[in-house]
Amino acid sequence: MNVPEHLRYTKEHEWVDLVRENTIRVGITDYAQDALGDVVFVQAPKLDQALDTHALLAEVESTKSVAEVYAPVAGKVVAVNERLATQPELLNQDPYGDGWFCELEIDDENLISNLLDAAAYRQLTE
Amino acid sequence: MSRSPLHEIHGELGARFVDFGGWEMPVQYRSVLEEHRGVRNGVGWFDVSHLGRFLWEGATARDSLRSLLSNDIDSIEPGRTQYTLLLNEGGGIEDDLLVWWWGDDRFWVLPNASTHQMVLDRFRAMAPDTTSVDLRPQTVMLAVQGPEAPSLLEELLGVSPRRFRTYETSFAGAPVWLAGTGYTGERGGEVVTDPATGGQLVAALIESGALPCGLGARDTLRLEAGLLLAGQDFDDRTNPLEAGLDFAIGWEHDFVGKKALESVRSVGVTRRLTAFSLSGRTIPRHGHRLRANGSEGEVTSGNFSPMLEHGIGLGYLKPPSEADPEVEIRGVWESAKRVELPFYQR
Repeated sequence: MNVPEHLRYTKEHEWVDLVRENTIRVGITDYAQDALGDVVFVQAPKLDQALDTHALLAEVESTKSVAEVYAPVAGKVVAVNERLATQPELLNQDPYGDGWFCELEIDDENLISNLLDAAAYRQLTE
Repeated sequence: MSRSPLHEIHGELGARFVDFGGWEMPVQYRSVLEEHRGVRNGVGWFDVSHLGRFLWEGATARDSLRSLLSNDIDSIEPGRTQYTLLLNEGGGIEDDLLVWWWGDDRFWVLPNASTHQMVLDRFRAMAPDTTSVDLRPQTVMLAVQGPEAPSLLEELLGVSPRRFRTYETSFAGAPVWLAGTGYTGERGGEVVTDPATGGQLVAALIESGALPCGLGARDTLRLEAGLLLAGQDFDDRTNPLEAGLDFAIGWEHDFVGKKALESVRSVGVTRRLTAFSLSGRTIPRHGHRLRANGSEGEVTSGNFSPMLEHGIGLGYLKPPSEADPEVEIRGVWESAKRVELPFYQR
């Protein structure tokens, strides 16, 4: 499984990338997309929505089941990956790239240091 | 847990496995969607060795089938297959099965995977004079399905199977039995042979470019084609009139459960299987609540239709109702549209 070194992770198989000051990009990991199987629908978050930590961020339907994705850190949705509405398969094809969910503006970027690093996440999935 | 004799081949092909009716079978190789579309657009093969099958032979074989099963075997002839039901005295569906009629007194009975032993025991108890041989331990079964399946089967087995017909042929010098049946809504056939020959046939199928497909695609294909899943879309408390399986009842002969069915027919059913589709990509799932015109039910089967690219489902509602149903998906009542089966047809 692909676990990029520069990202942070949650036990719920989300990845977090600090893209700008106090702004994180969120998606699900290669491990998660693989376990879900073919993704056919993504209920994406709404722009400007304020989310608490662990609040429901997105729902992902696959041919096998449905999975819920939670906000890894509290924040406000400042960008949404619109392409997922018509191309949910991007989640399978490029989970760390074109398959991202949304960007959250967070209060304090230091909060993400509480999340798992690549080594810890890799250990979790082994 | 039982395994197919072809289990190792599946592993080498990258299959993931699932427990289905006590069998550990491939659920997918690379992608359910890819496998689904592969079958709709070309040809795919499935290992369905978990399916039940036994020989039913002798002077009493035909009469016992007539009295045990809802469809009338006398309405077909040797060389044909028939879809039929095993009911209980209350008219509930114990299993749906296929009968392959080989010759005068020689039949194969094909129940579902998890009901194989129950059906075999029931048959043996009710007709002890008929010879029965459990075929499952000594054979494998493959389904070859898709618009290109008939020509591929012709190339490999010398037979392009016609719908609902049976054939005895050979592959690599070994006997092979097949019928023009399947569970995908596509042309093709289901093939039974010994495990070693089955392995060689799989190699030939792969060589010819037929896509290995798992139970995941088998489920989305059968649902799109409007084919019901025993134990999920009906069970022993569902009668065939409720499930829309009237076509599998031969009213002209006596069979177990007929009396109960006749009274249902005269009074009318209190619920009926309803097919519906959703406009968005939200997906109805087994167990979701369903309602229409004050009638409430549950989704028995639901999934994303890869060909139609929206959610489709089945569930029971009170008749008569022409009203479009609603389905509750994670707390939201989504509007659905009542449709006729099959959901998808070429």
